[in-house]
Amino acid sequence: MSTPLLELRDLATHFPVRGGVLLRATGTNRAVDGVSLTVQRGETLGLVGESGCGKSTLGKTVVRLLEPTSGSILFEGQDIAGLSRRRLKPLRRELQMVFQDPAESLNSRHTVGNLIEEPLSIHGVGTAAERAARVRELLDLVGLPASAAEKFPFEFSGGQRQRISIARAIALGPKLLVCDEPVSALDVSIQSQILNLFLDLQAELGLAYLFIAHDLAVVRHVSDSIAVMYLGRIMEYADADGLMARPRHPYTQALITAIPVPDPTRRSTRTILSGDVPSPIDPPSGCPFHTRCPHAEARCRNERPLLRETARKGSTPHMVACHFDF
Amino acid sequence: MSQQALLEVRGLVTAFDTEGGRVRAVDRVDFSLERGRTLGIVGESGCGKSVTALSIMRLLPQPMGQILAGTIHFEGTDLVSADQSTLHRIRGGRIGMIFQEPMTALNPVHRIGRQIAESLILHKGIERRAALERAVDMLERVGIPAPEVRLSEYPHQLSGGMRQRVMIAIALACDPALLIADEPTTALDVTVQAQILELIAKLRSETGMGVMLITHDLGVIAEQCDDVVVMYAGRVAEQASVAELFARPRHPYTRGLLDSIPHLETPRKSRLPTIAGMVPTLKDLPDGCRFNNRCPHADDRCRREQPPLSRAGDGHLVACHHWQRIAGEVRT
Repeated sequence: MSTPLLELRDLATHFPVRGGVLLRATGTNRAVDGVSLTVQRGETLGLVGESGCGKSTLGKTVVRLLEPTSGSILFEGQDIAGLSRRRLKPLRRELQMVFQDPAESLNSRHTVGNLIEEPLSIHGVGTAAERAARVRELLDLVGLPASAAEKFPFEFSGGQRQRISIARAIALGPKLLVCDEPVSALDVSIQSQILNLFLDLQAELGLAYLFIAHDLAVVRHVSDSIAVMYLGRIMEYADADGLMARPRHPYTQALITAIPVPDPTRRSTRTILSGDVPSPIDPPSGCPFHTRCPHAEARCRNERPLLRETARKGSTPHMVACHFDF
Repeated sequence: MSQQALLEVRGLVTAFDTEGGRVRAVDRVDFSLERGRTLGIVGESGCGKSVTALSIMRLLPQPMGQILAGTIHFEGTDLVSADQSTLHRIRGGRIGMIFQEPMTALNPVHRIGRQIAESLILHKGIERRAALERAVDMLERVGIPAPEVRLSEYPHQLSGGMRQRVMIAIALACDPALLIADEPTTALDVTVQAQILELIAKLRSETGMGVMLITHDLGVIAEQCDDVVVMYAGRVAEQASVAELFARPRHPYTRGLLDSIPHLETPRKSRLPTIAGMVPTLKDLPDGCRFNNRCPHADDRCRREQPPLSRAGDGHLVACHHWQRIAGEVRT
């Protein structure tokens, strides 16, 4: 099998928690705590989980906006986890990110043309005329008129601004785009337009996505495989259809039944989890989910379940971090 | 039917004075809500769903927001013409409210117990000690563990889901006849959203109150509501029972919305049907039907004439000139 585009091995990103008057480190926030995942070329890995599960920290660590504490980030076989800023720069062309809120991620004082051209200038791509042509090409690719280049971000709606962010992110022809909740700030009628754009760009440019979102129905639609995260760890990983059709982890099962389905003839009988997500600063012992799991036993409180393969579809294993089979 | 309606909104027009002139955020909206039922109001940003709620509660930002026309009958009182003392009696007493972000609705410097007791002292005229005892009961009813301990805590000590439970306890402390919930679960995680929605449904069936649930999520509407009003750009596009609306959506906007949501049965990675263009801002609303610039069925008449709400079935109203013609068309 060829080298995967991205391979995370036991990746951890911890933050010190400071307290007291001297702001000494009093604890550790284990936001990402030993994650191993792979993204294949031209494919989409969906990453779902609730707030505080570490999915955004994981995304930012992959593009090295945050420093990993341990583990490796293999991009085309090369470990980029410890690379210096200078050595990292050429890799920025290959690895880009799209954020949730384009109003915050786009500098409002620059024209759209400048914003999209900026990555090209930073990396010294082409002449001024070539760059201008590339900007027009990118605008067309994301479904905006060439006249948009002269305008400012505030002149656009949320959906159009997300198109601008995407044009900027793909300007250098990356192989991997990390998308952190890219449609959750958008209106329902605009979400599907942007999801279609992601699908079109993947088909045309062979882009791979690490698609981070909390909406399982959206993630399933765009993903080839899905990983479910809880308190910094992967609870379940499988091909997208397999995960939705036959979730094996009690957390995934609860997550799927908790989604309100827009079909009143199928009001679901749901497993309602009690309580909230515990803090990653002092996560529960054993299985991190045992405090909310309806099936938890003594073993779950003491022994942390490892991700194990329970089934396989093609080359994609169905991995579950649970002591039991459900 | 209209005699028994708990809440009846007729011809409501709410406008805001902005730098660019006066804009009508809500434009001739009609609907009613019966006791013991949940009415969902669904729509995208700027459709007027929250302004409708603020108009009912007479909590529009002053002096920019004004009700220009219409009536809002609630338990025999027209809230549009009611004086301030009547409104004080009704708000928090007969009508409870919960909002999207409980942290901004709760007072950060007051203990939980005091915030629940406050409305009881004000509306029920009971003394502080008895009000605090009632507050413990309320916290227990909304599923907060160790309510005696929580009583003396501050909002920041609670999680988002717990804060929303406290908001519900405050809203329901005085046994309101109507609960208005504006995006009550939008800021919460799905597993916590499921808890809160179940709690609201349970309390509704216990108390027989009416619930007006405002949301952008058609899934929440399908699971939680009896009736639904679909709003678009300040007007009612369609209104029906939930079963009827999802089985036979008549307005092209409703149909477009339902089609554009990925379902678990949608083939993965297939292109999703979309609604062209974007939600218009209140400053540049098209003439005639406000959906005409995004509608695949629009013709000259739609660009000229505002379609009235017409009957499309039992209790089913739709504001479209062409609903009969497009009803037979297969949805994508």
